[in-house]
Amino acid sequence: MAPGESQDIEVVTTAIHAQPDNKTRRYDRQLRLWAATGQHALETSRILVLSSSATSTSIMKNLVLPGIGHFTLLDPTITTARDAGNNFFLAGPDSIGKHRAQEAVPLLGELNDGVEGTADVRSVHDVLESDPAYFKSFSLVISHNLDSPTVEKLSRLLWTDPLSPPLIVVRSAGFLADFYIQFHEHDIIESHTETAPSLRIDKPFPSLLGHALSLELANMDITDHGHIPYVVILVRVLEDWKRSHNGLPPQNYAEKQAFKAALRDLKRKPDEENFDEAEAQAYRAWTTTGVPSDVAQLFTLPAASGNSTPNSTFHTLLHALQKFTELDDPPHVLPLSSTLPDMKADTSSYVHLQTLYKTRADEERAIFFDLLDKNADIDEGVVETFVKNAHAIRVLRGRRWGEFDADKEAIASAVVGYPRESASHFALSALSNLTSGSTAPPTADALLAEVQRIVGPGIELPEKELTDAIGELARAPTSDLPNVAAFLGGLVAQEAIKIITKQYVPINGYCVVDLVDTWTGVVGTPA
Amino acid sequence: MATAEVLTNGNSTLCDWHDRYYHVDQILDRPGPRTDPSFMAGDGVKEFLRNQCKILVIGAGGLGCEILANLALSGFKDIHVIDMDTIDISNLNRQFLFRPKDVGQPKAIVAAEYIMKRVPGVKVSPYYGKIQDKDDAYYMQFNLVICGLDSVEARRWINATLVNLVDPENPESLKPLIDGGTEGFKGQARVILPTVSSCYECSLDMLNKPTAFPICTIANTPRLPEHCIEWASVLEWPRVQGDKKMDTDDPEHINWLYTVASARAKEFKIEGVTWSLTQGVVKNIIPAIASTNAIIAASCCNEAFKIATSSAAYLNNYFMLIGTDGVYSYTFEHEKRDDCPVCGGESLDISVPRTWTVERLIEMLVEKQDIQIKKPSLSTASSQIYFQAPPQLEEATRPNLEKQVFDLVPDGGEITVTASTLPFSLFLRITYS
Repeated sequence: MAPGESQDIEVVTTAIHAQPDNKTRRYDRQLRLWAATGQHALETSRILVLSSSATSTSIMKNLVLPGIGHFTLLDPTITTARDAGNNFFLAGPDSIGKHRAQEAVPLLGELNDGVEGTADVRSVHDVLESDPAYFKSFSLVISHNLDSPTVEKLSRLLWTDPLSPPLIVVRSAGFLADFYIQFHEHDIIESHTETAPSLRIDKPFPSLLGHALSLELANMDITDHGHIPYVVILVRVLEDWKRSHNGLPPQNYAEKQAFKAALRDLKRKPDEENFDEAEAQAYRAWTTTGVPSDVAQLFTLPAASGNSTPNSTFHTLLHALQKFTELDDPPHVLPLSSTLPDMKADTSSYVHLQTLYKTRADEERAIFFDLLDKNADIDEGVVETFVKNAHAIRVLRGRRWGEFDADKEAIASAVVGYPRESASHFALSALSNLTSGSTAPPTADALLAEVQRIVGPGIELPEKELTDAIGELARAPTSDLPNVAAFLGGLVAQEAIKIITKQYVPINGYCVVDLVDTWTGVVGTPA
Repeated sequence: MATAEVLTNGNSTLCDWHDRYYHVDQILDRPGPRTDPSFMAGDGVKEFLRNQCKILVIGAGGLGCEILANLALSGFKDIHVIDMDTIDISNLNRQFLFRPKDVGQPKAIVAAEYIMKRVPGVKVSPYYGKIQDKDDAYYMQFNLVICGLDSVEARRWINATLVNLVDPENPESLKPLIDGGTEGFKGQARVILPTVSSCYECSLDMLNKPTAFPICTIANTPRLPEHCIEWASVLEWPRVQGDKKMDTDDPEHINWLYTVASARAKEFKIEGVTWSLTQGVVKNIIPAIASTNAIIAASCCNEAFKIATSSAAYLNNYFMLIGTDGVYSYTFEHEKRDDCPVCGGESLDISVPRTWTVERLIEMLVEKQDIQIKKPSLSTASSQIYFQAPPQLEEATRPNLEKQVFDLVPDGGEITVTASTLPFSLFLRITYS
């Protein structure tokens, strides 16, 4: 009888209960990216969008679908014939003459019953005057083609109080666009970067070392010999090597080759793949496990701008991590990860090794826990996630929107390093400045003069790139193209999801998009 | 499929209201600095886009839904869409033309109806079926083809079909193919001018190799939860269920696999077998989100718009985007391969040891990343080496499997490789090492 048929009733029942509910099935393809924790963050988020343009509704579509908690479209505009032609979330000509936000909200809302949507037909200017606290009731604010003075005012309002939501400023015309995320600090525990944690082969913990030394390689059963995990082989051979080399791992090319030859010599049969794997992974024996520099530099970060630390939990964890790395035992390393990659081995030797790692990881997590500030009440699950991802944590420090445009030094270096991105960015800044409060679209000459005014004397923007950017903006200064709106809709929603879930890594700077030559780039990243 | 006619009678421009295309017309009324001088700004290009251009969308899923909406808003009015799938609940997190009430309905039909309801004057003609059902005459009617597919096989088929369609005497026979694909926060869009620029087959080696676990690991030394799941689906299912076909969309079947895999994992003290992982492994599920699909579909439609109107240069020829760490993208020209079996014309040089049997050669072809043929049949100009079908021919050629290739094909000789899933033949020039 197959194991599947001989299950006792308990196991079978468990299996049936494991069948996902409708909500899990609906979100299956995204839960595989950000799991239940990311989904929970989305579902409790409240997003404010300033305008209900084609670009704005495209962004919102990609946030309503994955299931944010709430969105508000703040927009006093009455739908025009122009809007009815380029916005999928208006009911075509039927929407003309009605409030654009009120027309768009139900059409966005029908994408997902679990999301609450509101249309607010006040103007952002009025709300800024009468009810500035309104903006702080959201977890993220997004604007599209908002005039420069208003963005300036809003960005200052949100910047002054570090507990205010991040602000995404999106600008587009014709085939060109850029957007910026304003935040003081963005801390990421689950960055999902592909760097793997150290296996500590060079600094084996006692139970791993003991296990490696206990193996009688020469007298072992031949099948078992071909199934020793490469991690154990490396620890063992390195230990033997160090005994005859003043306690040092291989130091130079010749020694490294000799080390590999020693690995080959241990082979008892030519087809022992575990020894081939050990040779391929031999570099781990002479790679010193320490605190990765990206992580170490977080310990010496200057205090965040603003009055208070935005995320005290993260910083409490970071502080404990620093103290952990100062210990002599464990030896100036990050807490051990219990994640063991797959390797050539039989089940029992692999599972045994896995257990050694897991037990030790638990012990080190307990040490980490003892180092945590006892006054900070941090959820155990968060601590566990932090320790597991300690090698890949990230901290982004941002600037206020617009500071880059006033930073001559940063501009001078950007035009050299990122000529096309800089040209498009400043052309868009010029367009935004010149269209604020004016009805006639600016000419190419006017745009050029405004770009020169923004960057100031002494800075030469690349001529070809600037002419190309300005020419495209002068061609279509008020055009919200459906394809560009959709492209931005996707790009900005990806960033919004990263900001809200605190998973993956958002941009820090201006993301510039050119859909004539189909490229994206980033400029103005804080130094 | 009479629905396609409901909303459109006669000239679809009747539906156009003043200023409908205000945004798009800013691009079509004047050139930009990088626009090719051949661009004829104004009414001519609008007339072509809105009343003459006929475009085919393959796939009405994650990318397809987005593509249809973008094309409709951009001014394409004669759109055809093919999709063989029906709507599943797991589509609803991104395929935004579908609602819970549509689950089980054909994607192509529901999507077409929704677009026609939302964007007046646009005609979307759906076909609920396979791309392989259609012949050359069908594909010849379109000006452009956009693909939003999740299957390598379907892409290879349409790519080869459009390359074969090219008649040097007839410029109309060259159909630009725009292809998009996504996975999680990553994706790519590309423009293929069949026979002129790098085709889908030329870049086959860029695909990630699918994870394959050795059978001996699955059978004897499982270490990961995935090994237990593979054991349940690859070994236990056929052993216990016999000829019953596994349906990975059937929750009962997944449940069975999950239960069997869990028992195996428990026996070997392996942790981590879950329902979700079981489903992910057996269905080879690729994470998918609305935002990435939006980016890639928009990029595809933007290229279609630029090609149809000449309002700006189109992509030459590959755009890839990675959104996991910041926004990283790379635009480059993928090179055409002279030995591409579809568009290259030259045969592929393969060097094999003299001792290799036909069976070993077939094994190598199946594994080779730039070929990827599942069940190849082999022949030379004068003889049949091995055929997978029909059964009589398979039986007649089976003894050759154990023979050495050297005994059947001379040094420098050519082998023709065919497979039922591919509409082209691969020519190998064999040399012996």
